[in-house]
Amino acid sequence: MAETIVKIENLVKRYKDLIAVDHLNLEIKKGEVYGLLGPNGSGKSTTINSMLSLLAYDKGSIEIFGKEMTPVSYDIKKKIGIIMQDVAVFDELTVYENIDYFCGLYIKDKETRKKYVTDAVNFTGLNDFLKFYPKKLSGGLLRRLNIACGIAHKPELIILDEPTVAVDPQSRNKILEGIQELNRNGATIIYTSHYMEEVEQICTRIAIMDKGRKIAEGTKEELKRMIKNTETITVETENVPDEILSRINDLSHVYETEQSEGRLIIRCGGGKHNLIRVLSVLQEAELNFGRVYTELPTLNDVFLEITGKVLRDREE
Amino acid sequence: MLHNIKYELFIRMRAKGLVFWMILFPVALGAFFKISFSNIYDEYTSFSTVPAAVVENVENPVFHTVTDEISKEDNPLLEVTYTDKEDALTLLKEQKVSGIIWLDEEVSLSVASDSIEATILESFLNQYKRQEKIITDTLETNPAALESVISEMNSETESCVRIPLTEGNTDNLLNYYYNLIAMVALFGSEGGLEAAIRNQGNLSAVAARKGTSPAKKSVTLLSSLISACIVQALCCALTVTYVNFILKINFGGSLPFVYLSGLIGSVLGVSLGFMIGSIGKAGENAKTGICMAVSLASCFFSGLMVNTMKPMIIEKAPWFNDINPAALISDAFYCLNVYSDYSRYIQKNITMIILSVLMAAIGFILTRRRKYASL
Repeated sequence: MAETIVKIENLVKRYKDLIAVDHLNLEIKKGEVYGLLGPNGSGKSTTINSMLSLLAYDKGSIEIFGKEMTPVSYDIKKKIGIIMQDVAVFDELTVYENIDYFCGLYIKDKETRKKYVTDAVNFTGLNDFLKFYPKKLSGGLLRRLNIACGIAHKPELIILDEPTVAVDPQSRNKILEGIQELNRNGATIIYTSHYMEEVEQICTRIAIMDKGRKIAEGTKEELKRMIKNTETITVETENVPDEILSRINDLSHVYETEQSEGRLIIRCGGGKHNLIRVLSVLQEAELNFGRVYTELPTLNDVFLEITGKVLRDREE
Repeated sequence: MLHNIKYELFIRMRAKGLVFWMILFPVALGAFFKISFSNIYDEYTSFSTVPAAVVENVENPVFHTVTDEISKEDNPLLEVTYTDKEDALTLLKEQKVSGIIWLDEEVSLSVASDSIEATILESFLNQYKRQEKIITDTLETNPAALESVISEMNSETESCVRIPLTEGNTDNLLNYYYNLIAMVALFGSEGGLEAAIRNQGNLSAVAARKGTSPAKKSVTLLSSLISACIVQALCCALTVTYVNFILKINFGGSLPFVYLSGLIGSVLGVSLGFMIGSIGKAGENAKTGICMAVSLASCFFSGLMVNTMKPMIIEKAPWFNDINPAALISDAFYCLNVYSDYSRYIQKNITMIILSVLMAAIGFILTRRRKYASL
């Protein structure tokens, strides 16, 4: 049984009448990449800030490394690295100086610190930008600097709060690969995001949050098994007659059809060869159609089915 | 601690606002004062030789002898022109002389207006009238001693006009430069404000990051304050150096004390900003606005903007000057300028130190918490 690194019990945080975190329970084991997935305002950052003792909470308890977390738990804080949602670096310090400054808050020995800073620079690929000031860095490089400042002291628990917001795809991939490498090197990771693809890609266990509550938890496979949908078939076609729609609905394992924007969407729950059976119906009816594709359920489907709303807009 | 102070110094020294407000602005304002006051300085400093017309209606060899002796000196008190009544009146009208000395049965004086030069002439003639008999007797009995008698009279006349209160420069215009230094010291409130904001997790992201680290808050706060004081004191010292050595404004023998009060004033400014930055839940912009408003109000009530304000405060609420940072800084300089002993100067500086400690302590108490209701 892996050691418990973080244990949150019945955490409640209110902002006047609004309940930001509603009786939340979490248990995160050593070596996990634990994802907190939820739309903006679902309580992810509030949970993180409460965990770090930055935010006062109304009820509940938080234990990290088996000890109660308080603002003066310096021994616990030494083992934690935090990458904030907002880039938290000094504009007046260069890349190297920023990393050295924040590392210096944890590591007193000069030689050790120098080595750690060099490791962080290499890890984040900032070698060519050491003398750059943050304002001269692109959004992606700035995020990498933010990460370097949070991990330079080689923490055992790394908390990343939406680290890829407003980052280009190339930098995002680099960041995600880096997080997986940190995990391989032994760090336990807590990763919050509203990007389901990222969470699916890197997290070993996921908690889905909405309105301050944990609405589901498990591996991505476990989460997907919780819902009815196992396959979504999309057919590009216009105006499918009601008769044909009825025949498709009558197919076994098809539980829902939907027509919108020149597409026919067919949702299936279980069964095999659903696509072949749908195509047979369409061909028999001599209906013209374009592309046909099938998708396995995503975490968005999980979120949709549980809450009745999409996790985030497609434009985001 | 040293690690923190080192980087806090880097952060402050590289801030763009510092170069403008702490260095360029005082330099420009000092230069502006220098240019603006140069004419006034000329007027003030050229009164040592007073031009006067002498109309000798009755022959007066004693007065002749006195004026001849005076004109031999390196820096003569008077420059006399013997002429007739019409010419003398014309010279006075054209302001080529400051007065007309009439040598009748009695010696008398006419001046066009009240001025320092007119006062000098009047004083000189009073001296002459009192010592005319002595001079006459000296001429008859010991002519060799005449020079020393006249020299004595000359120096007494000067002492009637110039009353040195201290060994320092008693020039009133010096107050403008003192106010400039006081203003730079008070700008330290901005540094103190930053120290408070950069250590409160609900006000800045870097503070939140610091708050999650194992660094003790007292250490990070103290490092921020120390570095703010160092930078502020350096800027203040730079201003004093610039005013004294580049603009050639003479602080008399009080230059080291000007540096000292600049240093203490800087600490006071930083403490003021730190306290303001620590009060309440307002955001960074709101606190910056409040800090600026408090600094300006402090300057206003101390008379740095309107010179009638200070006497009014002294009359209506004298205690206010003892808690008003700008008034304390400018008063310390004022004491240097006016009083010959340093007791009031020391008192003002001690008050500044006490107020600094008090405000810094309030700031520490208010920012010591580590958990916030919202971020």
